[in-house]
Amino acid sequence: MAGLSFENYQRNQFLAAKGHGVPKATSTGTTIVGCKFKGGVVIAADTRATSGPIVADKNCEKLHRLSPKIWCAGAGTAADTEMVTALISSNLELHSMSTSRAPRVVTALTMLKQHLFKYQGHIGAYLIVAGVDPTGSHLFSVQAHGSTDIGFYQSLGSGSLAAMAVLESNWHEDLDKEGAMKLCSDAIQAGIWNDLGSGSNVDLCVMEVGKDAVLYRNHLTPNVREQKASSYKFARGTTAILKEDIFKLIDVEEETIHSEAMEVDA
Amino acid sequence: MADCLSLASRHIKEQIIFSPDGRNFQVEYASKAVENAGTSVGIKCKDGIVLAVEKILTSKLHVKENYERSLTIDRHIGVVWSGLIPDGRHLVNRGRDEAQSYKSLYKDPITVPGLVDRLGYYVQNYTCYNSVRPFGINAIIGGKDASGFHLYMIEPSGTYWGYRAIAAGKGRQIAKSELEKLDFDDLDVETGLIEAAKIIHLAHEDNKDRDYETDLLVCDASGYFHKPSAEQLAKVYEALDNLSEGDSDDNEMEE
Amino acid sequence: MNGISVDINHLKKGEVNLGTSIMAVTFADGVILGADSRTTTGSYIANRVTDKLTQVNENIWCCRSGSAADTQAVADIVKYHLEMYTAQQGEQPTTKIAASLFQELCYNNKDALTAGIICAGYDKRSGGSVYSIPIGGSIHKQEYAIAGSGSTYIYGYCNKNFRPNMSKDETIDFMKKSLAQAIKWDGSSGGVIRMVILTKSGMERLVFYPHNYVDSE
Repeated sequence: MAGLSFENYQRNQFLAAKGHGVPKATSTGTTIVGCKFKGGVVIAADTRATSGPIVADKNCEKLHRLSPKIWCAGAGTAADTEMVTALISSNLELHSMSTSRAPRVVTALTMLKQHLFKYQGHIGAYLIVAGVDPTGSHLFSVQAHGSTDIGFYQSLGSGSLAAMAVLESNWHEDLDKEGAMKLCSDAIQAGIWNDLGSGSNVDLCVMEVGKDAVLYRNHLTPNVREQKASSYKFARGTTAILKEDIFKLIDVEEETIHSEAMEVDA
Repeated sequence: MADCLSLASRHIKEQIIFSPDGRNFQVEYASKAVENAGTSVGIKCKDGIVLAVEKILTSKLHVKENYERSLTIDRHIGVVWSGLIPDGRHLVNRGRDEAQSYKSLYKDPITVPGLVDRLGYYVQNYTCYNSVRPFGINAIIGGKDASGFHLYMIEPSGTYWGYRAIAAGKGRQIAKSELEKLDFDDLDVETGLIEAAKIIHLAHEDNKDRDYETDLLVCDASGYFHKPSAEQLAKVYEALDNLSEGDSDDNEMEE
Repeated sequence: MNGISVDINHLKKGEVNLGTSIMAVTFADGVILGADSRTTTGSYIANRVTDKLTQVNENIWCCRSGSAADTQAVADIVKYHLEMYTAQQGEQPTTKIAASLFQELCYNNKDALTAGIICAGYDKRSGGSVYSIPIGGSIHKQEYAIAGSGSTYIYGYCNKNFRPNMSKDETIDFMKKSLAQAIKWDGSSGGVIRMVILTKSGMERLVFYPHNYVDSE
């Protein structure tokens, strides 16, 4: 059966009532942003993945490629952003092959929103979708329940408030590519520094009309681990050897077996 | 037995396969069934639609009243047909379903071209599969919608055309040559009814050995189809009486 | 929740809400739709420049309130049906037909939807017309309609100040003042006021920024 199974729902409710905790999915407590500029669009993300209070991955990738020139940044349930992105990416490529046209950002957006709406928010994917297509450059966001927004700049995830503060105060209409990249990485940094769920590095993707999309993996790495001030390894010989024994663990025996040649039925 | 089977399979094949010269015989046979059936007529007048059909009475023992040959699909759409009676009733039933589903979705009565188009598709479907046979009818469909009065005829192949006036069935040639004499821009429903009844009467000449009645259906400014009023009927009787003076047949009119 | 009484007004956790002030008003030459631009998730404004006025056909638009996801999905489905209608019937659908499609979807899926929609449009047959489709999926043809959380504050104002067959400027002014009050008193409404004017000569879009409407007493 396709789709989500709810057969264990009642059992899980019962177990939860008994005090047994429900296992939690890895949520990308995240900061993701997007911003348009004159000839294109930029999206950016932090690289921290969390599982409850634990940092599950210090340098994960939250920027997904839907098609060569359409990228999206994901927040919410990590597995869901990963899978829904892979599915739409696949369908988008099939669609573009059957229509012999470059895929459009609105097509990706419509596929995503219809899929997410069908699952009524149970697929916890919050995405910023951006890209360039024959109709120009575009920037959208999609929520898990299937609603979409358009705007010159977007932010999503637990760090979206910090990021939005930066976007709201520094965005202006005639940004160029460098300005947009700076604005996006500043917004992500606001999340990295001020949001517990976000951290580590800044990934960035620039999509310009008439050019290939460029992914800047670890565009900024403001959290490089410092070299330890000194080495805490014990020098060889620190521990004295009091006694030495060598055991033979395997015995090898040789034996020759004589046997008749095997007969085979004709 | 072998002959029987090969004959049957030949007919089954013909339903789905074109003949070498590009014809679908089953559809043509269906048209043949229409050619020998009671005549039906539709006229689009300047202020309404008139539909008429010749009901052949196959037995003196029939009870006349409870056998309808002019039906309505919705209040604004009427149908008469020549050919197999149950086929026509089935098509009308389908038309009623279509009209109701349209109305429940859009809260508006279905447009006449819209309905005829859907019925055309439905009829066409019966020419595509070897498990079914085509409709053995020509259905004349009239109606009124927001864009005015319409008159169409659907054929067994599923094709349909719009008409000022049209006839089907055994007496169609006589009927058509009579219809062509009419001036539709000046023809009102009152005279249209009389002309339709006269034409059915004339067309019956070909079928003189059998008794008949005429079913009439009219749609005027109200936009609704109904049987002719008593006054309208009186005028029709009068015209027919003049026509059949000296004619010994008793052509009893039924509305 | 005991299975007998179900709260249909609740939003799913984290769902995007259009706590809204929307209205549509018929006037001498056609109809005008108006809306604020605030979208909220809980206490956070997810979008302050939302466009709640959605085109579903050439000259038919709707104002959306309730769940953003639900109303966008419904509007997309209606848009599809109207495109099919145009292809099949060879003519543009009337506002009544569009409103009827909205009503049918909202009624048949009432258990799954949180959608309050005003459908308004201009067609040659009936001129400008307004249909209100509130949450249970009923339909009401009206001279003007208001809806959304902010509308509760302006029932009296609108009732006093609406007149049939106003001029375009009078209508814009009436709507601007009404929505300004709704935005003023409703915390879930805010941002800019958007309008769409539908007449026989096509459509026109307007935006009013806060400094253009806050003191439009």
